[in-house]
Amino acid sequence: MSEGPLVVVDHLSRHFTLTESRPGFWGSVTGLFSRATSVRRAVDDISFSLEAGEFVGYVGENGAGKSTTIKMLTGILVPTSGTVRVGGLVPWESRRENSRQIGVVFGQRSQLWWDLPVRESFDLLRSIFRVPEGRFRENLAELDDALELSPLLATPVRKLSLGQRMRCDLAAAFLHDPKILFLDEPTIGLDLIAKDHVRSFLKRINQTRRTTIVLTTHDMDDIEALCERIVILDEGKIVYDGATESLKRRYVREKGVVVEFHGDPGVVTLPDLPTVRVEGEGAKRRFSVPVDSVGVATVIAAVAARFAVKDISIHEPKVGEVVKRIYDDPASLTRPEPGP
Amino acid sequence: MTGALAHFGPRRRVYPSFFAKAFQRELAYKFEYFIGVFNGLLFMFIFTSLWEAVYAGPTAATGGTAFTREGIITYAVYAMLVRISMTQEESGIPAKVRSGEIAMDMIKPVNYMLMTLAETGGGTLFHWVTRVAPIFAVALFAFDAWPPSDPLNWLMLGVSWVFGYLIFFYLNFAFALLAFWFVETFSFQLMKFGLFTLFAGGIVPIDFFPDWLQPVIAFLPFPSIIYVPTALFIGHIPAAEAGSLIGVQVAWTVGLGLLCRVMWGMGQRKLIVQGG
Repeated sequence: MSEGPLVVVDHLSRHFTLTESRPGFWGSVTGLFSRATSVRRAVDDISFSLEAGEFVGYVGENGAGKSTTIKMLTGILVPTSGTVRVGGLVPWESRRENSRQIGVVFGQRSQLWWDLPVRESFDLLRSIFRVPEGRFRENLAELDDALELSPLLATPVRKLSLGQRMRCDLAAAFLHDPKILFLDEPTIGLDLIAKDHVRSFLKRINQTRRTTIVLTTHDMDDIEALCERIVILDEGKIVYDGATESLKRRYVREKGVVVEFHGDPGVVTLPDLPTVRVEGEGAKRRFSVPVDSVGVATVIAAVAARFAVKDISIHEPKVGEVVKRIYDDPASLTRPEPGP
Repeated sequence: MTGALAHFGPRRRVYPSFFAKAFQRELAYKFEYFIGVFNGLLFMFIFTSLWEAVYAGPTAATGGTAFTREGIITYAVYAMLVRISMTQEESGIPAKVRSGEIAMDMIKPVNYMLMTLAETGGGTLFHWVTRVAPIFAVALFAFDAWPPSDPLNWLMLGVSWVFGYLIFFYLNFAFALLAFWFVETFSFQLMKFGLFTLFAGGIVPIDFFPDWLQPVIAFLPFPSIIYVPTALFIGHIPAAEAGSLIGVQVAWTVGLGLLCRVMWGMGQRKLIVQGG
């Protein structure tokens, strides 16, 4: 395949025309002849590119345009304007060819055959994707190892639990060695253990096979655990595209240092560090450290020098909190430097 | 070798697989089978009784057709058998479009029309084994309608059945694809069902329609589906006319096949996959 990024999205837009029905009986009748329409810009002029091996979180609130983008990248929706290239192909023009190089998991749906045993579904997929014999067996062995498929193979898909079905669907998306995997809410409705299984599987596959993964999710713990890069969408536009870490750094003005003392130390002050606020009382206190001016290590050293410390823990805001702040106030991303 | 691998045989060809899996899926619904056989015989009984009544009157209402009493009973029995042998399960496209489930088919590198044809065929074969065969066996004795012995009749049936089946498939597929443009396609389905019931020849042979209507019907694809194979088989239409009738069938097959291809191409661009 050619050099350069695996996926290129260039000024991509998708608008939907909505017909507005007028209220009441008379509204319905007049609606037969003329209808008011409005245009919703589900995806509004977005551009980005993905390199092979990246693990990207694609997040946004409901209706932000995540699924619409994924549909265009997988070739099942035609955009209003703009272009996409996935491995050099325009997905909606070469839908079938494109589908050979991608894997897709939509959390709310299954690509397995509802009334057939899982094994039969895998067998059909192997035929559809023309997976060579040796590859199929290697992949299946690896997937079985990671997702514990063996006990599920004889069961019809409709009888699987949500977590079991997701494991099978993930496996199904990998049988043909896709270059890129699109995951739309793969952990939705899963319990914590099942989520953990899915996450560690994805991490492993991304590392061992260098499969590019685009993960759409509302679960920020997924992003935190997996994605080095995050693209945030708001009302069809990309409001942030960059490293997950630097997003945090940008928003994290304060870190918390929680210190447990041997006994109540009484009034705690750090005279050398006047910008550090101290909260709480008793044997457990919280120090709010403005990271721009003071290092966390400095604070810990200063505290340990003056008091008998039993335990220290450092609290960093999570991506989820950061993203929530962006949803609440997207403009905050473009403001130069918000004050403390 | 792990347990997961133990049960997989060699890889099979894709469209035959769809065919086989559709057959296998039908097996899951055993009750359907008995009801189906019963229904088939019931309808055969109803229609043959109707024709008996029509022909029993003092002024036999033969409609000026060449059908004798025995002839029409034979037609009714074999038209019913042809009809059952062409049973095509719903492709489910409108429902899939409405739910967005169609996305899961479209992310696979398959020719959708060929996949649907293979699946439909698998279902039809199931109906052959479970319905056509037992109903045929019963009908032989119950309705005194022995098939012709000339192999030519069987050959004409075989050829015209295949094209009739394809025409029926493309019609169903084309109507199902309307779901790409219209949210609600029930009224289209109803229209198709009405036209099919009236003009395919499954219930009333085309000969019974008024003289002015017959040429109109001849311009529709419907008679090619049941009337032509049945009439050729029982010898109602002489073998000399088989060539031109099958020619018409081929034309419809090609034409509707192209229509479906065009509709699929356009529909894909039109399609708005619902849901997240």
